[in-house]
Order: sequence, then structure tokens, then C-alpha cells
Amino acid sequence: MVIDNILAAIDVLANGHALLLMAVGVAGGLIAGAIPGFTIAMAVVLTLPFTFGMSAHLGLATMVSVLVGGLSGGLMAGILTGIPGTPSSVATTFDGFPMARNGEPGLALGIGVWSSFCGGIISAVLLMTLAPQLAKIGLEFNPWGYFMLVMFALTITASLAGKNMIKGLIAGALGLLLRTVGEDEAAGMARFDFGSDALLGGFDFIAVLIGLFAFSQLLNDVRDRETAKKSLTQRSTIQVKIEHRRAIAEILKRWTIVVRSSLIGVFTGILPGAGGSIANILAYDQTKKASKYPEKFGTGIADGIIAPESSNNAVEGGALIILMALGIPGDVTAAIMLGALLMNDVVPSPSFITDEPVLAYSIFISFFIATFMMLGLQSVMLRVFVRVTRIPMYVLASIILGFCGIGVFALQNVSFDLWTLLWFGILGFTMRHFGFPLVPMILGVVLGNIAELNLARALAITPDLTPFFTRPWSLFFMIITIFSALFPMFQGHRIKEKAWTLFYLPTACFAISLPLFMMGGLTRPVLAAFLLCFGTYLLWQRKQNGWRFKA
Amino acid sequence: MKRLNRDSIIAIALLLFCGVFFWASFDIRTPNYGVLKPSTWPRVIIGIMSFLSLIYLIQSLKGNPNIATAGKSDREPGFRGWVDYWRNPLWCFALFFVYLALLPILGMLIDGILFVYVLMGVLGGWDGKKPLTHAYIAVLTIGFMWSLFTFGLGVMLPSGIFMDPI
Repeated sequence: MVIDNILAAIDVLANGHALLLMAVGVAGGLIAGAIPGFTIAMAVVLTLPFTFGMSAHLGLATMVSVLVGGLSGGLMAGILTGIPGTPSSVATTFDGFPMARNGEPGLALGIGVWSSFCGGIISAVLLMTLAPQLAKIGLEFNPWGYFMLVMFALTITASLAGKNMIKGLIAGALGLLLRTVGEDEAAGMARFDFGSDALLGGFDFIAVLIGLFAFSQLLNDVRDRETAKKSLTQRSTIQVKIEHRRAIAEILKRWTIVVRSSLIGVFTGILPGAGGSIANILAYDQTKKASKYPEKFGTGIADGIIAPESSNNAVEGGALIILMALGIPGDVTAAIMLGALLMNDVVPSPSFITDEPVLAYSIFISFFIATFMMLGLQSVMLRVFVRVTRIPMYVLASIILGFCGIGVFALQNVSFDLWTLLWFGILGFTMRHFGFPLVPMILGVVLGNIAELNLARALAITPDLTPFFTRPWSLFFMIITIFSALFPMFQGHRIKEKAWTLFYLPTACFAISLPLFMMGGLTRPVLAAFLLCFGTYLLWQRKQNGWRFKA
Repeated sequence: MKRLNRDSIIAIALLLFCGVFFWASFDIRTPNYGVLKPSTWPRVIIGIMSFLSLIYLIQSLKGNPNIATAGKSDREPGFRGWVDYWRNPLWCFALFFVYLALLPILGMLIDGILFVYVLMGVLGGWDGKKPLTHAYIAVLTIGFMWSLFTFGLGVMLPSGIFMDPI
């Protein structure tokens, strides 16, 4: 069955047209990822209008290619100029740039490229194996569980905003509220149309995404007059030859770092809201802590390039696992993918892989193919990158704003979408300026109607609210929502050694074990018992330490 | 309590926003079918958002260090300084607004080229050979995109009054 699906997906993608589109996607992603100020999400969202005339398989394969290219493109700028192309390649500059300055830019790029490749392949394998399994678990979710899962996704995204958690939560709520504008899907009644026919149709979700992410980002990039006129590099050529053989040898010597960092990347991707920007720093930090020579980090060692590059490429596999298995986007790019699926009348849910196996497997396969293409195209795109970085930012921003206009109109041939783009561009820019994170808002917009529809379904089954507390999956997500919401406070108070923080983790273990016991079967009660034991051990340990974290 | 700062003004604006939406939620008609009324979900969100905005207001008035202060800038004081600091984004908004307003008249191709050309001039300056270079770039890039969507993807982009026969 799986083999049949894989073969069917290969059949869809193994033709000149599809491969050409994917190659263009990877090349475009590499360039977009390499330009500081342009994010991968921006590149993927701007690809969306081009895909509307394609089949869902081709459109998504192109977008996945842009995504894979973008994830790897950041390393070029980071290593050669010291300015990370994307937030997900910040840690790459710590050792990549010094290595390049030490006279080995070819080796630094080679290590970066091959680490990205390994991270991508590990993540693609996990995507193909884990997503169908997780989807089986997802099929157990009832409307109560699914509603709480959405709430969990929003809360954890906001809590990742750290000190700005309250702003993150407000942004998430604002996204949910703006999604309610227009006719509601359950009853077909007009909401918040303020007498306008245009508002009756609601805001087009893609126009909102492009406005919030691309438009506002471009304005941010040209905010400073002098910076806007400058190009990234004045150099007309950068003579670098990627040293593949030496790079492979260096990576093989450090395969444990590749595997560990890739797993960190996949796990971070699975966590809604966390993304490459967190994963690369986390992987770098963990590698440094585990290293026998931590003092050498930052001087241009291979370990410092392998860790961030393999983790940031693995992130998207994790985000896609959650999107394809549960229908919940793990980050902004996955949210855009969800938009692409919706554009093709495919509603991602736990039954997505079962209902649309060829489409699902074509996403898996395109992730693989794109990762291989990235490897081949990186050397070619290096020359293009040098040319692109000579173009001043204001020129790039003006052209892309012009593209945004054409692209957004092309989505539905509706002028109102262009106004949506403008208003949400202004809103996104203002929110960025006032320190409100945009990711929770985007997830709010994306997940708003999923949450409402599941709430409506739950209440249609019974108007009683107790199933939210008595159904295992609903209770499970409710508990982890509460604990993830408290996590930033826990982190802050733990440093101050406040007493309640001693009980945070044990209480979380005890609380989570309850729904796991309720789920029945064998594995989950065993896991619950383990959590109970672990929580008890933590309490005992703290008592032994005189009610402190460490004696 | 400190005097109103930027965060507290934003919090008050958010509370007003919630108030407007709550008031507008009374215009939502309730059908005689379905358990979840169309106004319930928006009201739940408005309730949560109001509560969060209130916490934000209280934190901002207390000067709570747990909320990162809204963007501090190095701009000159006064309205002139504000306009000067935000010059580029303001131009972008204004030109995009004009672009949208003129779209039905000029059409996507001419309007797009003009928008990109003027925007490049405003952001990058008009000195030397720049006007000519910007013109090339605007015509080539927007012309390419317009052709791709019109002929390649078969999208009917607005033609405007000048290119209507096309």
C-alpha cells in the first residue's frame, strides 16, 4: 500500500515539467534564503500565486522546493558575508564566517551544504515514517480533542514569544477574531461585515499572509533610508569553489552531531510556533555543551557549522509531520502550505494521508527530490547569489512589492484582495514595530475556522461542556496548554528560586499521566506510569536537596 | 503608577477595538438551527482578547519588566522627526494606495510599471542615471510578470481603460 502510494507519487513527479518546476523552486529558494531581510516564509508565500494554475501535486512540490532551497540558502550569505540570510542560519555565521575568513570558504560552504543535505534527508525519512503513524493517532481525536489541540498550538506559539507572551496571546486572539469576519461556515450568517459586500466574503487568507509577512517585512527592510540604498556586498565576484570531498570527510567524522542536530530540528519543527530560528541556536548550543573542546567554538570549526545547518533543514520535516498528520501547521511556512492545500479544496486533517495518499506522498517525495536538487544547485546559485547581493535593497523591495500586487490579484481576480494586502501590510508593520509577534496571529488566522468548526461539532453532539475535561485527548491538550502557558513564568521564577517552581515539573508529570491512563491500551498507561515515577523521583530529589533544585 | 506610556496607549486602543467588535457582534443574526450561535465564538474571542488587553494595560501602567517595551527608536522628537523617520514606509503605503486607486483606470501593466518606477525613485533617489535604470528595471520586471500571468497562466489581469481592447 505504502509502496503503491510512493510509486504513484513518483509517477506524478518524475517528468520533465515537474522536475523543471522543482529545480526553479529550489533555485529561487536558495536565492531568497540567501538575501538577508527576505525570509523563507516570504519566498514560499510569494510562490503561491504562481502555483494556482497547477495541479495540487505540482503546486505543492514547487512550494516544497522553494522551502528546501530557502532553508539552505541562508548559509551562503552567513558564511561569505557574516550576515545570516535567514534567522534560521544565525548560528551558522558563528563558525562559518570565521572559517571563511581563515581562508577556507570552500570548505565552510561544503560543510554547510552537506550538513543541510543530511539534515534534510533525515527529516524526510522521519516525515515519511512518522507522519502516517501520527495520523493514525490523530484519527482518535474527537471534536473536543481537536479544538483543544488548536488552543494548544496557539498558546505554545505565544509562549515562545518569551517576554512578549501577553502580546503573543493578544496577536493569536486577534488572528482568530479577524478570521471570523465574513460569513460563518457553520450557519452561513454574516459577521462583522459592517454593511460591506466585500467584507461579507471575509479576508482572503493568502492575501492576509502575504500582507502580514511579505509586505510588512519589505517595509521593514527599507525603513532605514541609507541601508535601503546599500547592497549586501560591493564585490563583483567571490571566487569560491565548494570543497565537497573534504566536507563529506569532515561530516562523516562528526556523524553524531548530524544525527543529534537533525533530531533537535525535527522535534523543534513538530512544536507549533518554534522553527528554524530556534532550532539552529539550540543545536549549536547543545553541540557546544557536548563538545570536548567548547572553547574552540566561534573560531571557525566544522562542528559549529554542522549543528545549525543540519538542524535548520530538519525543522521543516517536523513541521510537515504535524501538518500532514494532524492538519495543524507547525510554523508559518507550514501554514502557507495549508493555504495551498485549501486553495486546491483539500482540507488537511488526520485523515488527509488516508484520503489523499498520492498527494501526501508526492509531498514526501518532493521533499526528498528537492533536497538532492539543492545539493546540485548550490554551486550554480552561488554565482547568482553574488550578482543578486549587488542589487540595492530598495530595488529588490520595489520589484517584490510590484510582484505582490500582481500575485495577490491573480489568486481570485478580486481587487478587494489587494486592499486586504495593503491593510494587513500596514497592520503587520505596526505590530512588528510595537513588538507583537506575527506568528501567533498567522496561526490564529489559519486555525480560526478549524477551532470554530470543531467547537460547533462538539456542541452539536452535546451542549454539555464536561467532555472537554473528561475526554482523554481533550484533557491531555488542555493540561499541556496550561503548562506551556506557565512555562515562561516558570523559567523567569526558577532563576529567582521561587518555591512553586520546584513543583512545576513533577506536577506536569502527574497531570499528564492522568489522560494517558484514561486512553487505555498498553503503551499509554505504561508511559503514564513512567511519568508518575519520574514526577515522584523529581519530588524526592528536591526534598533530598532541602527543597532546592541543586544541593 | 506611571503616566500613560506607549504600551498603555496600545492596550487602550485594543480595548476600544474589542468594544467595537463586541458592539458589532449584536448585529449578527441568530438562525433557528445549530447549537453554536454565529455570535458565540467571536464573543468568546473578544472576551479573551479584552481580558488579555486589560492585563497588558495593567502591566504597562505598572512598568512591568516582563513585557518588552514597544519599539524604542532613535528618531528626532516631534511630528517632523516622526515623518522623517518613517519616510520610506509612509511612501510605500501612500504609493501602494495610489496604485490600487488607479488600477481600474491604468490597468495592472501600466499601473504596476509606474508604481515600481516611482517607488524606486522615491526610495533610491533620482540622481544621475538612476531614472533611466529604474525605468528599464520597472518595465522589464513588471512586463515579465504581467506576461507570465497573462499568457503563461491565463490570468485576466485588470486591463484599464487604455488597454481595454487588448
